[in-house]
Amino acid sequence: MVLADLGRKITTALHSLSKATVINEEVLNSMLKEICAALLEADVNIRLVKQLRENVRAVIDFDEMAGGLNKRRMIQSAVYKELIKLVDPSVKPYQPVKGRPNIIMFVGLQGSGKTTTCTKLAYHYQKKNWKSCLVCADTFRAGAYDQIKQNATKARIPFYGSYTEVDPVIIAQDGVEMFKKEGFEMIIVDTSGRHKQEESLFEEMLAVANAIKPDNIIFVMDATIGQACEAQARAFKEKVDIGSVIITKLDGHAKGGGALSAVAATSSPIIFIGTGEHIDDLEPFKTKPFVSKLLGMGDIEGLIDK
Amino acid sequence: LFNLFRGLVGSKSLTQDLMAPILDKMRDHLIAKNVATEIAHKLCESVASKLEGKVIGTFDTIATTIRTSLNEALVQILSPKRRVDILRDCLEARKNCRPYVMTFCGVNACDTFRAGAVEQLRTHTRHLNALHPPEKHAGRIMVQLYEKGYGKDAAGIAMEAIRFAKDSGIDVVLVDTAGRMQDNEPLMRALAKLIKVNEPDLVLFVGEALVDGIVLTKFDTIDDKVGAAISMTYITGQPIVFIGTGQTYTDLKALNANAVVHALMK
Ligand SMILES: Nc1nc2c(ncn2[C@@H]2O[C@H](COP(=O)(O)OP(=O)(O)OP(=O)(O)O)[C@@H](O)[C@H]2O)c(=O)[nH]1
Ligand SMILES: Nc1nc2c(ncn2[C@@H]2O[C@H](COP(=O)(O)OP(=O)(O)OP(=O)(O)O)[C@@H](O)[C@H]2O)c(=O)[nH]1
Ligand SMILES: [Mg+2]
Ligand SMILES: [Mg+2]
Repeated sequence: MVLADLGRKITTALHSLSKATVINEEVLNSMLKEICAALLEADVNIRLVKQLRENVRAVIDFDEMAGGLNKRRMIQSAVYKELIKLVDPSVKPYQPVKGRPNIIMFVGLQGSGKTTTCTKLAYHYQKKNWKSCLVCADTFRAGAYDQIKQNATKARIPFYGSYTEVDPVIIAQDGVEMFKKEGFEMIIVDTSGRHKQEESLFEEMLAVANAIKPDNIIFVMDATIGQACEAQARAFKEKVDIGSVIITKLDGHAKGGGALSAVAATSSPIIFIGTGEHIDDLEPFKTKPFVSKLLGMGDIEGLIDK
Repeated sequence: LFNLFRGLVGSKSLTQDLMAPILDKMRDHLIAKNVATEIAHKLCESVASKLEGKVIGTFDTIATTIRTSLNEALVQILSPKRRVDILRDCLEARKNCRPYVMTFCGVNACDTFRAGAVEQLRTHTRHLNALHPPEKHAGRIMVQLYEKGYGKDAAGIAMEAIRFAKDSGIDVVLVDTAGRMQDNEPLMRALAKLIKVNEPDLVLFVGEALVDGIVLTKFDTIDDKVGAAISMTYITGQPIVFIGTGQTYTDLKALNANAVVHALMK
């Protein structure tokens, strides 16, 4: 399971509540200390961790509270709520509509996993009988078109791209136009990797967005990136209207907390997570079930959205 | 009397208690700059134990003393204990009539796995040869791509490539490998095999460790969150040989330890 280490540590800390005979300030503080240490180790932003500690503390008033059981439950649910707040901006994700074209544009830092995830997403919808296709508007990275071509061919997904056209705006526009005419429902546009320090790359992203007027812009974040993610996420959000987030590379030993902390900067919900390099390593994401599962609280709302 | 005098001018001996609040702040600061939590902890602990009991001068504050000490520790971590002088070693290999072999590996970096990897290298080869055409180099093609398509045994391809290089008098072989997570068993085994079979002169880990050194890329995208440089060298004990500072062919620089530490402590 993703972030299993973090989940285990937090659960252990919460268990210390049930073991303690009386729950006083000291017990609470030492539990919070453990939880915060676990969060920091998973790369969660230190500012957010401090906030979480303060918020949990603020909920608990030792003078006014009654019996031990009650306190325990209150503390546990406060921690649960704070963890959810950490990853959930309380914004509804864009819902694609069947029977009409949904134009989805992918943006993100270099190497974050855009191209791989584009194919995964197209495949995900194709399996559900949506007419899905891919447009390669990355004219910068060497081999970008071949990458999409090979991925798409393997998954039998129609694709559009060009070896000669150098303007990503033109390719994106032509590709989207063509697939719209052909009645495709999921039109997914891959773009080059970019970063905020290079203004021209950001202008290019805006130009593509203006040209194809996407219904949803998905920001792809690499789980292994750490604290540098937040400033980038904020900058992307300021330039184009990001509607959703996908976090990739959450498989293996990824700490993930840096990326999770950066979600807030986009004010957009995480819709999927990438958990491997293969085409079906994509899991729909829902905050509450995710946090419940992380804390071993059982699969309350069903993690997988069928 | 002496003690009293010392108290008056304010020089004091450092204790853990005195240092704790400042070290806490320093630690949080390092974490916020992307130094791994455990490593930030260890660094601050080592600074504390080094400074404990030290009597600091009249004009020094505890904060500046700690800062200076931390600064030194950081610079020391980043300063390679072992020099990796690739050019010298290449010339040495040429003298022995064999190519110098470098292997590049990393988390998701002869990539025979990821779609488009071969075409990516072919395009790069074409660009590099356009920049350095044979006409300028006595008719020699400066960069050649050795590939055998996808899904093949990487170790075998690398071996063929090295033999090919030897036969055609090529000086340096750079072996690109598929990116992999440490727990991707098959890919890790393939990498271990590639290294065992071919005994490259240098194995570089790109990004993010049976290696000789590290290439840390995308330094241009992280502002002052340069803590990864500390974490990587601290954990692996390996020097950072290059940093990538952009997407063009000349964006490969040596790491300036002082500049990194400066950004970290800012
Ligand atoms: N382990 C793992 N690897 C992934 C995941 N998603 C993508 N990758 C790998 O990450 C590397 C980069 O992925 P790409 O899809 O090429 O990234 P990109 O954002 O399109 O890169 P640029 O176009 O160069 O900006 C590839 O080696 C992928 O196989 C994931 O969820 N898990
Ligand atoms: N800004 C910036 N981008 C970089 C730098 N180094 C590489 N990139 C970009 O990062 C992306 C991925 O680079 P690759 O060289 O394909 O990475 P890789 O490790 O070979 O990836 P896989 O083969 O998919 O595992 C590309 O878009 C590169 O242009 C750098 O130093 N700075
Ligand atoms: Mg791409
Ligand atoms: Mg590669």
